[in-house]
Amino acid sequence: MPDRVAWQDFATVEAMTMSTATIGQAYNYKVVRQFVVATVVWGVIGMAMGVWIASQLVWPEANLDLPWTTFGRLRPLHTSLVIFGFAGSAQFAASYYAVQRTCQVRLYSDKLAAFTFWGWQSVIVSMLVTLPLGYTTTKEYAEIEFTGAVWMTVVWVAYAIVFFTTVVQRKTKHIYVGNWFFGAFIVVIAMLHVVNHLSIPVDWFKSYPVYSGATDAMVQWWYGHNAVGFFLTTGFLGMMYYFVPKQVGRPVYSYRLSIVHFWALITLYIWAGPHHLHYTALPDWAQSLGMAMSLILLAPSWGGMINGMMTLSGAWHKLRTDPILRFLVLSLAFYGMSTFEGPMMAIKTVNALSHYTDWTIGHVHAGALGWVAMITFGATYHMIPKIFGREQMHSIGLINAHFWLATIGTVLYIASMWVNGITQGLMWRAINDDGTLTYSFVEALQASHPGFIVRFVGGVFFLSGMLLMAYNTWRTVRVADVRMAEREAQIA
Amino acid sequence: MTELLLNSLGVAFLWFAIEYCLRHQTARSLDEASLIPFADDPEVARRVELATGKKVNAVAPEIAKPGWGNIDL
Repeated sequence: MPDRVAWQDFATVEAMTMSTATIGQAYNYKVVRQFVVATVVWGVIGMAMGVWIASQLVWPEANLDLPWTTFGRLRPLHTSLVIFGFAGSAQFAASYYAVQRTCQVRLYSDKLAAFTFWGWQSVIVSMLVTLPLGYTTTKEYAEIEFTGAVWMTVVWVAYAIVFFTTVVQRKTKHIYVGNWFFGAFIVVIAMLHVVNHLSIPVDWFKSYPVYSGATDAMVQWWYGHNAVGFFLTTGFLGMMYYFVPKQVGRPVYSYRLSIVHFWALITLYIWAGPHHLHYTALPDWAQSLGMAMSLILLAPSWGGMINGMMTLSGAWHKLRTDPILRFLVLSLAFYGMSTFEGPMMAIKTVNALSHYTDWTIGHVHAGALGWVAMITFGATYHMIPKIFGREQMHSIGLINAHFWLATIGTVLYIASMWVNGITQGLMWRAINDDGTLTYSFVEALQASHPGFIVRFVGGVFFLSGMLLMAYNTWRTVRVADVRMAEREAQIA
Repeated sequence: MTELLLNSLGVAFLWFAIEYCLRHQTARSLDEASLIPFADDPEVARRVELATGKKVNAVAPEIAKPGWGNIDL
């Protein structure tokens, strides 16, 4: 009989997630377990926040007439929790797991790794407190005020030290390509975060950026676009290059293509930011540069997507029985779709219709729900049994139900936002013969209301799936098998 | 003129970066690199070998090279 222990047994919980004891020459799975649990927790809270603000657009009374719960304060909280809490914790977990296993060496410094966990969680908690209180830089995806931003930098530097020192101490000759993507994610995010947050503090929670006017806007969208490009793409591609081959049981389709993919992606992504500022005070040449680079970006994006998909060559039949693989493959399909849609929306004439409409929100969520969340679900379901010493998740049926809830939720969300976005764009620019506007803004808003309802329903579907995942995770880890987890953690 | 120069530099960077990473690689070494995710898991490695006909050589890791200069892809 395996040495099963109840999760409720606090001493065992300590052994699995809190103890700093190491197990000989074994991988450090403790920090991976901690980040996996944090991924699920922040996923539930962040997505619930998203559903709440979606409900506010359907029923404005849902803002509760309180300053702390208005859309303007909860929306940045939603994005911060899902990007940094959910997606960030998932990437910490996946990178720490994959770098150890592909380098065949224990993570560098247990203490520094533990610091990155508690430090990162404190950053997210500070967001949870300060953003509803109204402390904000007002910069999208970079709302955390000066003190928090400095602390975030300290934690990120510790992350870089842990990751890169582990790579340097590896026992394998090659640095596996997935680690190149994780490494680029760490380096570029550090650069973006520091440059965009350069500001003059006037007190602990108020600062003014060193940039102004169009320069400030350009720096912000250089950051904002690359937050998508590096925080929500490059790290997840690192995840894809490890977990898709592992789950399929086949090596990546073309290792040569993965290297071309890496260099092309990091060379091109950094230039695409100006497409967020079409038809603004930004110089026209910069807008055109952003558009051209966005179009070229389609090539490496699809190169990577095809490389991931083709890894299933000869193993497509596994999709019939493996819902984890379904998550991973569907995430690649959504990645391909949203990386096609993005360059199209960056074309100035298309952007003239789509910008400032719900189409943009739909596009972002095609990437966020379809790509980021789906690949996170797949990778997390892959990791949990291994790091908690179980043969498999508590219920495969629940993973399957989660898959369908997430898929239906994503489709409802993006379809409603496409319809809303095109409706809004067309209504806003409709002009009568005498040059006056055909529709008022409020008429366009009223026309959007059915789409807001469908979006809310889609969000409820997606959140329900996330709750199933939380339940399935709880049922799996509460019967964690310490000995099996220790065996799994041994370096081959 | 400046734009042309910058564009050429961008393309040259991409070209040299890829060439540098692939400079000593052969089809066999790239195959071996692609099998790294299975290398620390003998049971999975055997299944992959059966499915693909490729040998997962990296199960017994090489001796680590010390120092920060050890950055071969």
